[in-house]
Amino acid sequence: MAGSGTAHLRPDADALLRAENLVVEFPIGSTGLKVNAVSDISLDVLPGETLGLVGESGSGKSTTGRALMQMPSPTSGRVTFDGRVLSELSGAELRKVRPEMQMIFQDPNSSLNPRRTVGDIVAEPLKIWNRGTAAEQRKLVDDALESVGIDADAARDRRPHQFSGGQCQRICIARALMLEPKLLICDEPVSALDVSVQAQILNLLQDLKAQHGLTMLFIAHDLAVVKNVSDRVAVMYLGKLCEVGTPEQLYDRPTHPYTAALLAAIPVPDPAVRPDGGTRLAGDPPSPVAPPSGCRFRTRCPMAQELCSQVEPTMREVSPGHHVACHFPLADLPAESADGPAAVADTPATDDGEA
Amino acid sequence: MSRRMVTAEPGAHPETRSTLLEVVDLKTRFRTDAGTVHAVDGVSFTLDRGRTLGVVGESGSGKTVLSRSVMGLLPSRNVEREGHVLYEGTDIIGFDQKRMSQVWGAEMAMVFQDPMTSLNPVMKIGNQITESLRFHLGVDKGEASATAVALLKSVGIPAAEQRLKEYPHQLSGGMRQRVTIAIALACGPKVLFADEPTTALDVTVQAQILDLLAEQQRERHMAMILVSHDLGVVAGRTDEIMVMYGGRVVEQAPTDVLFADVKMPYTEALLRSIPRIEHPSHARLEAIPGRPPKLISPPKGCNFAPRCRYAQPKCTEETPPLVAADDPRHLYRCWFPVGSAEGADALARNLADGTTVAYPTSPGSAPAAATPGTDGEGA
Repeated sequence: MAGSGTAHLRPDADALLRAENLVVEFPIGSTGLKVNAVSDISLDVLPGETLGLVGESGSGKSTTGRALMQMPSPTSGRVTFDGRVLSELSGAELRKVRPEMQMIFQDPNSSLNPRRTVGDIVAEPLKIWNRGTAAEQRKLVDDALESVGIDADAARDRRPHQFSGGQCQRICIARALMLEPKLLICDEPVSALDVSVQAQILNLLQDLKAQHGLTMLFIAHDLAVVKNVSDRVAVMYLGKLCEVGTPEQLYDRPTHPYTAALLAAIPVPDPAVRPDGGTRLAGDPPSPVAPPSGCRFRTRCPMAQELCSQVEPTMREVSPGHHVACHFPLADLPAESADGPAAVADTPATDDGEA
Repeated sequence: MSRRMVTAEPGAHPETRSTLLEVVDLKTRFRTDAGTVHAVDGVSFTLDRGRTLGVVGESGSGKTVLSRSVMGLLPSRNVEREGHVLYEGTDIIGFDQKRMSQVWGAEMAMVFQDPMTSLNPVMKIGNQITESLRFHLGVDKGEASATAVALLKSVGIPAAEQRLKEYPHQLSGGMRQRVTIAIALACGPKVLFADEPTTALDVTVQAQILDLLAEQQRERHMAMILVSHDLGVVAGRTDEIMVMYGGRVVEQAPTDVLFADVKMPYTEALLRSIPRIEHPSHARLEAIPGRPPKLISPPKGCNFAPRCRYAQPKCTEETPPLVAADDPRHLYRCWFPVGSAEGADALARNLADGTTVAYPTSPGSAPAAATPGTDGEGA
């Protein structure tokens, strides 16, 4: 997977958000080592589209979201938002762009200041940007709270701890939408919530997206959740993109072995479907400090060949709009090497890398 | 290696279907300044040797408190327990901590949700495993560490000898959970409580850990109580499922019976709110409006009524008893069960009115979520 390349990007003019060759590295003290959190990722989101970004913990999906927001700015790579190159803007210029891109985080309780009232929290973006008079601000706050399903009269003077996790997430959403952003980056917005509340929040996000004409980047580890909200899905592994496509393409015909393994690992709420140990991915992801050479997924990949350790695969098209970075994809593609896909398909599933 | 460590052949047990654990009308209450919290409110179940019971519910349903009450792991201050916990025929509810310490680890063990907080960060992994071995089995240091290595290998940890000398922070989340499983299994318990063992883990690692638990359970002919909020996790891995809501069991049945014939509207609602991979994207999810009930002074009647699509005036007045369905092993707690004539009538009435007895009073929720789905059949 590991792949690089930009073959999956769409024409430059169309995208609201576009990242090319994004790299984020974190140096480890003075050791000279660095965490390769995001390594050469390119992605784009069209206006009104929801891009789902999935991957395991440590795959760099949150770091990608933050790098797009320029907090912190990526180590290298170019981020374009609505015609402006964010990575080249000064601090003051960047600040002016910020109201147009907002973020919702995973843990709603820790992203709300426990000592402030909900009314204050939601009004803060308006106060920072001096939008309207106090009365107008109050009206906007009330409207925003009502639009996310919170009773403004009851909530305004309360503090976050008096609300449940789902309600806190609604408050976070109200705050994020206060300045009418164009882009909303949601970083695991429902993973801390119960399944019943999760459905409420996902429905709410869909409604608000339609109402406000939002473009969304939706980061999550749950493939079913991502499928539910996304128009396009990108799968990440260890700082690289594996596969990009529409939910139908990706879920019905996964072509990257990692996508297939992720899909196979999802527990199905049906006792007739017995968990199948055969396609289980063994082991843990390797350390991003010293990622494997070539394809980064090769150490856990059931299809890995010699080529995978030497050459990093790049994005290529499987079908219109569906791209994969793999030397031996699970689909009939013109083979890049002598070992075609046919040979790959017969390869027995995982060897036990752990025991 | 000690006597207890010998893994048994499943067929070698003459007592294969005998009862190991029986919980009778267990009630757990917390006394707080705000009032008494009825966290577990009259739960009964039996668990046979080698079998798996799934306990499912949202946060605050009492599923974690239930497993801790059964194991006697709750602090004694401010906690009242009532009822019976019969372990191999002995009621252990009156046991003091000293007597319980003979039970913990040796007879019953627990794997917790977050492996980082359930492991001691300043103690080497080896010592954390051998602690219970030396306490319960009285083995010497050398034998204990040999057993620890065997345990770590059996839970799939490579280079087990070196791992003994490492600290928890040096392991990944999945590896840490393997270590906590090794600790729980060390003294060969007859029942393992797994309280959300994979909630903190990635989906690929979750599958590995659930496989591991199933494999160890089979080899040791150990009973297991698998607590989870995810019906997907328990569906393929349990013999029986107990659905909890507001501290009570609202539905209980053998796993295949439950999924084939859901009776309780809450179970149906839970199943319908899960985003499914086979559904098209942007499919509207059927959220459950509102949120779980307060356990201080619970409302009269069925405590799911305020969120229920089937709710009728009777539901807010009278608490439904736990009754058996056609299959006597299938219990549920509802006046207007799913799939019955009364249930269908109740739902039709509510849909016609566009409301239920309780929705107008339910704050902060979207009553629109109660609109009918595309298919009428649950599960």
